[in-house]
Amino acid sequence: MAAERVLSRTQLVIRQQERQRFMFGVQVIVWWIIILALLFFAFSGIRFSLGPITIKTIALDTEFMKTWAPFISRGVPQTIYISIVSIIFASILALLSALARLSGIPPLVALAGFYVSLIRGTPLLLQIFFFFLALPQIGIRLSGPVAGITALSLNYGAYMSEIFRAGIESVGKGQREAAIALGMTHGQMMRRIVVPQALRLVIPPSGNEFIAMLKDSALVATTGFVQETFWRAQKVGRANFRGLEALAIAAVWYWLMTIMFTTLQARLEQRMARGDR
Amino acid sequence: MKILQVENLHKSFGHLEVLKGIDMEVMQGEVVTIIGRSGSGKSTLLRCINFLEQPTHGKVMVDGLSVIVERHKLSRDQKQSIHEIRLRTGMVFQEFNLFPHLSVIENLIEAPVIVKRMKKKEAIGIAEMYLDKVGMSAKRNEFPNRLSGGQKQRVAIARALTMQPKVMLFDEPTSALDPELIGEVLEVMRQLADDGMTMLVVSHEMSFAHDVSHRVVFMEEGIIAEEGPPEQLLDDPKNPKTRMFLQRIIGEKQEE
Repeated sequence: MAAERVLSRTQLVIRQQERQRFMFGVQVIVWWIIILALLFFAFSGIRFSLGPITIKTIALDTEFMKTWAPFISRGVPQTIYISIVSIIFASILALLSALARLSGIPPLVALAGFYVSLIRGTPLLLQIFFFFLALPQIGIRLSGPVAGITALSLNYGAYMSEIFRAGIESVGKGQREAAIALGMTHGQMMRRIVVPQALRLVIPPSGNEFIAMLKDSALVATTGFVQETFWRAQKVGRANFRGLEALAIAAVWYWLMTIMFTTLQARLEQRMARGDR
Repeated sequence: MKILQVENLHKSFGHLEVLKGIDMEVMQGEVVTIIGRSGSGKSTLLRCINFLEQPTHGKVMVDGLSVIVERHKLSRDQKQSIHEIRLRTGMVFQEFNLFPHLSVIENLIEAPVIVKRMKKKEAIGIAEMYLDKVGMSAKRNEFPNRLSGGQKQRVAIARALTMQPKVMLFDEPTSALDPELIGEVLEVMRQLADDGMTMLVVSHEMSFAHDVSHRVVFMEEGIIAEEGPPEQLLDDPKNPKTRMFLQRIIGEKQEE
């Protein structure tokens, strides 16, 4: 009897804690709604007076937005396309440079170190301009998208090489020893045992890099004639002196893409976590 | 016929000399258990035989293939011989080291297919035979993380056997297991011994040393302090150090 009562008291406490946690979550959601409502209100264009004070909210040119939203929105697939192509090349570069760094072969270690250091030591925007503006001087002409994708791939490859290196290093010594004891060469061990396990560990953080890339891909617009979201937005914004409206549309798109891919990435992470150990 | 031989084997890690000149021979079909306290060099000895650790100097011979190490840098021929030795030895680790991204059957056929370039079908045939031998056929398609420690170790033994080695090296195969899971692994090892496999076992399992092995080797501070048939070495050790070591184990057992 006594034990039962103690147990039910514990349960009460647990229930109370759960309730508090739930209420906290509800409050956060309510505040999100309030903030979003305020944001909409601020851009609603409504004008009203409270006694002597006149409140003026920001008025958006809805006619302009209706006309140009489809044009700007067509940049979204382009943004995703640039990001996907760049993240694929970046992953390959990252894997190669991580393997080179861990190879124990002096020229390869130096080359990978040089690559990572140089790229991480210079601005991404400079790198994009370099491929677009500097290379033609020595006879290499790259189109805007190609220059942009090259720069993004090289840049993200350098940053992701650390992720890949950590992934490869985190595959335990025992795995390597088992492979070697079974007669595998170093190359077979890396290809068949270490890299496949490392890739699983690397996928979630690479997802984060991809999401960052979605936004950094806007920098490619600076080369002109890359028909991605930001380029379209600033082009029509400037032409019609409607920068506020145009950029707001682009911002919403970037935000939505980020939310969507973050959700996807979180799910992926959950699934990966279930698979192993 | 001697199938494994170690001659004047030395191994140092920096200034620490772990093996101070080991001489040992193992006959075909013989089961030898190496005992000794941790740090006595018994695992290092095992790992020098298949060159997971490179000996500082000394000779290792397995199944007629020998490698004499005199300096750190190895020649192409030596590397080739080491590869051949690894193909002739199977190793079982304390921590199992199954490949977590591969199913049980894939774990078994990986090396035969990749290293020996065996046809997949043929490899599967051999793998299934050994899976059956260790009683793990039912878990053929499971992934390692779904297995208990004892099951993992049995799969690891089958994986080593699928390479059809001449000698099996066991590096404390039951030390990472919960006590209730030790029995099933020892049983598999006993069967393997009965089948005539040559086995070199580093273990603290005195029952295995006593009942299964033909010879017991006691190592102390990087040398072989004493060796002999299990009855003699375990029941009537000549070397006072062996006696002390065994006394301590008995003491621990009584405390439990």
